[in-house]
Amino acid sequence: MDTTQLLKGVLDLAVLAVLREEDGYGYDILRRLREAGLEEVGDASVYGTLRRLFAAGLLTTYVVPSESGPHRKYYALNAAGRDQLTRSGKLWRSFATTMDSLLDDRGMAA
Amino acid sequence: MTVTGQDITDYVARVRAALADLPPAQRDELTEDLADHLAEFAAETDGTLVERLGEPETYAAELRSAAGATGGGGRNLDQRVATALVQVRGQLRAIDTRLGPALGYETASEFLRLLRPAWWVLRGYLAAMLVTVMSTGGSIGLLPRFGGELLAGLFMLVGFVLASIWLGRRSGGLARWPRSAVQVGSAVLVAFALVALVNAEDRLGYDDYYYDQTSVDSQYSQVRDVFVYDSEGRLVENARLFDQNGNPIRLGYPDCSSPIDEDGNPLLRPYPYCVDQAPFGHRAPGAAVPTPTGTPEPGVTPSTTPTATTTPPATPAMPPTPTPTG
Repeated sequence: MDTTQLLKGVLDLAVLAVLREEDGYGYDILRRLREAGLEEVGDASVYGTLRRLFAAGLLTTYVVPSESGPHRKYYALNAAGRDQLTRSGKLWRSFATTMDSLLDDRGMAA
Repeated sequence: MTVTGQDITDYVARVRAALADLPPAQRDELTEDLADHLAEFAAETDGTLVERLGEPETYAAELRSAAGATGGGGRNLDQRVATALVQVRGQLRAIDTRLGPALGYETASEFLRLLRPAWWVLRGYLAAMLVTVMSTGGSIGLLPRFGGELLAGLFMLVGFVLASIWLGRRSGGLARWPRSAVQVGSAVLVAFALVALVNAEDRLGYDDYYYDQTSVDSQYSQVRDVFVYDSEGRLVENARLFDQNGNPIRLGYPDCSSPIDEDGNPLLRPYPYCVDQAPFGHRAPGAAVPTPTGTPEPGVTPSTTPTATTTPPATPAMPPTPTPTG
């Protein structure tokens, strides 16, 4: 099992979490995820996730002109997105706790 | 910026091609602002798109999985057919390229394209022949006729050929429905041509055998041989039959061998072909007059011995050779 496989299940949550602190555009979100430690995440994965979350009605977008390059399309959480983040976050925490205790019981340090 | 707009367009096109099996709506949703996204991305990074993002096909696979779209197969019939079509088209293109050098061209289709004007002319001719068949009721030769009129048929031929060329030169600019109509029409003409060819082939075989035959109706189709008897009831051998124009009348066919066979054309053999099969016997002079109906003539007693005094008739055994007029 590698990080890529694990990421598949939780990239939604990671993208929602990154957007809670601040709105972002595609490459910016990718960079923030990588800086946060998800170094293996690919642009296509982030872009595809953003498209899917947007299609599901969890994100809004707006375009910001840039002096030095093309326009940037910013993504922002809306109310539904924030709800989703809360629910998925709780689910993740309980899942992570379950996994932690499972590993702890068998003598592996967290 | 090292990445041009064309690079981005090409990259997006390849990603879209790799997602060709997705429902169009889903594919559009995934890729509608991909070009903008890649432009953003290129503005902030160095190197080409492929260096930074990998091959478009890899990118498409990652995008597909991140967006929760499934791969090919297990989709509805339309999409499976579309996928199959894409594959078939790819294979055809490969065959096209492979056959090309054998014909002396880069691709086979390049060679075929040169033949298109010839097809347009042929198509006009076929259309004229189809009208010929419909207006004359089936019997056709090689030249078009309109209601049996050769001249009108030739005018029609010229008109149809010109119209077909005109259509061919303009077919690229036609709207979808007219173009489909032209394609269906062409397919009908090709089918017609195949049927006509098969018919012509059959007729050729028939004509070989009955080549110089005249005045034969189906009522004589049972006739295998002709036996001529003179007024004395004697079988006339080596008889020939002619019509009023001097054309030989051929009936039946020789089904027994004869020394005359060596002459070559068995159809020029005189009647009867097979003397041995004469229905009333090959009688000697003075034999009984055959009475085919079985009804004795009044005053003649069938049981009496025939008149032995009969002299050989003055009529020659063969008719005078007519001068052929036609």
